[in-house]
Amino acid sequence: MNFESFQNRVLPAKNKLFRFALRLVGSEEEAKDVVQEVMIRVWNGREQMAEIQNMEAWCMRITKNLSLDRIRANSRRQTQPIDGSFDVRNEALTPHESTELHESMQRINRLMAALPDKQRQVMHLRDVEGYSYNEICDILDIDMNQVKVNLFRARNAVREKLTKANAYGL
Amino acid sequence: MDSKKIEQLLEKYWECETTLDEEKALREFFNQAEVPLHLKESASLFRYFEQQRQQVITDVAFEGRLKKAIEPQKGKMRSLVYSSLRIAAGISVVLASFWLVRTQIREDQPQEITDTYDDPQKAFEETKRALQMISKNFSKGQKATAKLNLINEAKDKIQTKDNDKADS
Repeated sequence: MNFESFQNRVLPAKNKLFRFALRLVGSEEEAKDVVQEVMIRVWNGREQMAEIQNMEAWCMRITKNLSLDRIRANSRRQTQPIDGSFDVRNEALTPHESTELHESMQRINRLMAALPDKQRQVMHLRDVEGYSYNEICDILDIDMNQVKVNLFRARNAVREKLTKANAYGL
Repeated sequence: MDSKKIEQLLEKYWECETTLDEEKALREFFNQAEVPLHLKESASLFRYFEQQRQQVITDVAFEGRLKKAIEPQKGKMRSLVYSSLRIAAGISVVLASFWLVRTQIREDQPQEITDTYDDPQKAFEETKRALQMISKNFSKGQKATAKLNLINEAKDKIQTKDNDKADS
């Protein structure tokens, strides 16, 4: 892989890697560091990676591993919602609607953060990034059954909490 | 898409039976402005997904930093050239000072044998002359010592005569 194909195949994935790392490590700065480290690793190991077909999934997998290493090294789990990351400025909305939207985003963020790690990872990869089940298997290094079970549990937990919140008018 | 169909898709979604395309359709539906009130909670979930996807690395220097980090070859080459130039400069300084010192020493202590003639014929002539001069001076000396020999011989003769007289 030369620099050009690196630029075309690996670099464009940087935001996906960043979001996944952000989900895992919880801080933008650290997520950025993780992405940089992933890119450097991929570049340094480019000779061995010639036969890898799905480069992006491979990068996501390295992102997961490096993020988990980092969490272990920091020995602190950061799954708190990232408050500053919701930019809900929308000209079409009234201030009231905008606040309401912001609040509901915060609530879902808390809800997602409360999910077990695997469920949250699978849900992020499927519902935010739109990966296929097979790709999620590769990225998380788990089998298809586990992917489906985790996604099912995640979606149901979210659904349950959403309807509960709605019923209580929270 | 009407809300009936959306409700069906949503049900499939909760059961994890939707395809990626169907999930995309749901996301698109819920991110439009008008959403039926009873689907509001589901809408907020899909809007959340959409917003998550908007998160990007905002640091403009990120790619530049990365490129710098993964392009060490150029930097290495440059530093290699620089360091070899530095070594070459050091070596040339040492050589130059060595040469200067050597010539200085040579000037201070002129060598005993120096070629003064380029033409061997001339050199031969000059050498012959010098040798002749030496031999002339030698012969001069020989004449002087011949005189001394004469005196010595005379002295010896006198001594032997004196001895003879004393014996007899």
